Amino acid sequence: MLEVQGVTVDFDGLRAVDAASFRVDEGCIVGLIGPNGAGKTTLFNTVTGMIRPSAGTVRFAGRDLARLDPADRSRLGIARTFQIVKPFGGLSVRDNVLVGALTRGQAVAEARRTAEATLERLTMTHLADALAASLPLALRKRLEVARALATGPRLLLLDEIMGGLNPTEVNETLTLIRALNAEGLTFLIIEHNMHAIMQIAETVLVLNQGRLIAEGEPAAITRDPQVIAVYLGEPLEPA
Amino acid sequence: MQLALQILVNGLLLGGLYALLAVGLTLIFGVLRVVNFAHAEFMMLGMFGVYWVWHLTGLDPYLAVLVVTPLVLLFGIVCDRLIIQRTIGAPEVTVVFATLGLSIFLQNAALTLWTADIRSVTTAYSGMVLTPFGLRVSVPMLISFTVAMLAAAGLWLVLTRTLYGKAIQAVAQNREAAALMGIDVRRIYLWTFSVAVAAAGAMGGLIAPLFTVYPRVGISYIVTVFVIVVLGGLGSVPGAVLAALLIGLIEAAAGFLFGAAWAELSYFLIFLAVLIARPQGFFGRRGAEVFAGR
Amino acid sequence: MGNEPANELRVSLLVGLPLAAALVAVPTFVSDVFWLGLGITVLMWAALATAWNISGGLAGGLSLGHAAYFGVGAYTATLLFLRFGISPYFGLLAGAVLAGALGAAIGAITLRLRGPFFVLATLAFGIVVHIAAVNWRDLTRGAAGLLLPFGGGARNMLFAGVAPYWYLGLGLLALTLGVTLAIRRSPLGYYLVALREDEDAARALGVKVVRCKVAASAISAALTACAGAFYATYIQYIDPSSTTQFEISVQIALIAIVGGIGTTFGPALGALVVVPLGEILRASLGGGPALMLYGLMLIVIVLAAPNGVIGLLQRLLSMMRSGARRRATTRRSRGHA
Repeated sequence: MLEVQGVTVDFDGLRAVDAASFRVDEGCIVGLIGPNGAGKTTLFNTVTGMIRPSAGTVRFAGRDLARLDPADRSRLGIARTFQIVKPFGGLSVRDNVLVGALTRGQAVAEARRTAEATLERLTMTHLADALAASLPLALRKRLEVARALATGPRLLLLDEIMGGLNPTEVNETLTLIRALNAEGLTFLIIEHNMHAIMQIAETVLVLNQGRLIAEGEPAAITRDPQVIAVYLGEPLEPA
Repeated sequence: MQLALQILVNGLLLGGLYALLAVGLTLIFGVLRVVNFAHAEFMMLGMFGVYWVWHLTGLDPYLAVLVVTPLVLLFGIVCDRLIIQRTIGAPEVTVVFATLGLSIFLQNAALTLWTADIRSVTTAYSGMVLTPFGLRVSVPMLISFTVAMLAAAGLWLVLTRTLYGKAIQAVAQNREAAALMGIDVRRIYLWTFSVAVAAAGAMGGLIAPLFTVYPRVGISYIVTVFVIVVLGGLGSVPGAVLAALLIGLIEAAAGFLFGAAWAELSYFLIFLAVLIARPQGFFGRRGAEVFAGR
Repeated sequence: MGNEPANELRVSLLVGLPLAAALVAVPTFVSDVFWLGLGITVLMWAALATAWNISGGLAGGLSLGHAAYFGVGAYTATLLFLRFGISPYFGLLAGAVLAGALGAAIGAITLRLRGPFFVLATLAFGIVVHIAAVNWRDLTRGAAGLLLPFGGGARNMLFAGVAPYWYLGLGLLALTLGVTLAIRRSPLGYYLVALREDEDAARALGVKVVRCKVAASAISAALTACAGAFYATYIQYIDPSSTTQFEISVQIALIAIVGGIGTTFGPALGALVVVPLGEILRASLGGGPALMLYGLMLIVIVLAAPNGVIGLLQRLLSMMRSGARRRATTRRSRGHA
């Protein structure tokens, strides 16, 4: 579904992503891990069109995305959350989500129903009228997910949505991801919570200093000596 | 050839005067992230200050500048405390319109106090002209230009060679990081703002013997100085000086070739083109225009 | 900034319809030319501030160049009438189309500019148009200005009395408010506010930046030009200093800010506060001190109440509401005891 081919990103002579190639098959959950500054979010930005790679191609559903801006890509079915959350602070939670639904081409009344259904699914209905700016961080992260879901995506990129959540909340999030996946939604997930990502991902990609250094099933990744050296520090028991 | 040289000299002298005004404006933007719409009103206050000191005491206008500049500095401190400090971190509409309000207030305060009369400062050397190589160079213009360039150079030295200047640069680059390093950001703001507007006041004092003094004199300068500061890259001091000289030249040349009104039009069009094509200016850092709003 | 368009529509129908009826009746009760004239001026500035608010408030692009569109509207209607005898009703439309195109172009080229850079670009644009109005004498007669013939007749939007302009002004304000309400209830309204709040997030959700910003700028410019054409036929004389001057741009923005930017009715409310206040101050103190107070008012408003008069009213209302609720709960708890 998503094919990234030799993508390279340079910032002022600094190579943030170096010839990264990978694919995400339809219906899969793929994890993307790596130390801070490895280039994970930059990779997300090239997939969603926020930045243009200096080299390489990104294809989605067989289509080259090079000429498409972030809005076009969203309308094709690529949605994302932001690691540094970006709520529309002056809007209510409902209207935040409504914006996502509107871009699918829904009329306002219909989009409001979509927004409310999405909020209900994320157990945020009681917050619908609250100003987004008034939410605590954990809920802002959930709002990111709600907004992205409202666009009706086929591929959802999640950027560290589990940071700062307690174990119960993490489990709820995992349940939600599994349920959405069962409905056909494909995931690419950046996550620092190793136990969580190893539980849910079918394939894990490891990025270090802009390079993909490993790719495989969670069990294989946790035993990969190179991954242990640069990132995990010590072998992780698969949960 | 002679004519071209004359235009070159006129343009550079004019540009040198603009430079002192532009350096202050660009500093305030670079450090405080505030576009000071009232900047030229501090220049106007300097002009009136020198006019009144000269008119009432008969003191030489260039000596009067030494009296007036510290007064403008004091007034700058007051404005910073009452207005500018309160705009830091406020919504964009506050940042833009607080200084615009200050500009309207100061212009009309001057109008109320001193009427719309056009005044001028005359000295024994007012009409004196030097004629090196057959060029005509006005003596007061030359004095003002020299002092303005020295003052701008002095500001530059303070910024680059002193510890305090380094602290100012640190704040300009990253307010939060500077605060974490123990720099008193509010004090840096206070001194940057008041010294910058004092420079504008000094510039006003320096041009008082050259141009007429009236309450709305700032309007004809502020927009030119915006052009300069954007051209030089908002926040860049050397950029501001170079762009000031360039705009002085363009004004002198275009004014001679097409007449004043069309010259003005032409550099506004240049301004728009620069803003749109290269908002970071010719000397500014790429990206400044992006984080500037926040 | 409250954003509940559905609720807003109900309130505006409840309050607006009786209010509109009362406003329509005004000329039958007020015949004094001074007061009616003041009322017309308020209506015009209310329409201007409301039009500014579409790009300045909803889309968040603080323009200091709207006098350019006002001037385009005024000069287009006047010149089409003087040169070709075209009725200013059509001239108004032509001016709106021209200004709309100009607004679209400005919207497109200032797209990437943020914060002060956007403000400076619009300021420079306004000044370019002003310089052109002053110096393109073959077209505008420069500072001498253009006079519309007295007694052009109702067919040419040139009335002898003042009352017709009251109705025209009312229509103009209703138009700008209606467009604002329609935008806020449409996807465009939501997109504009989303872009204002966070452009990156809006783009990631599929909001087309170019289309939205250009549309907002064009609509705002076209409505501003309508007010310009209205001004020309009302005063029946225009020159650059009364149409394209920088101060006009400042005044438009000032009124919107005092009223409350980003809200539907705030800018119109701002005109109701600022314009009469300005007239009173000018009459009692003279131009200089009046403008001094203007400047001071601008500073105080943006520092103390950046959401404007409407923000203050909302705060007052919610304070009263929570006060009432508190009283109600104490009464109830006392009842239990």
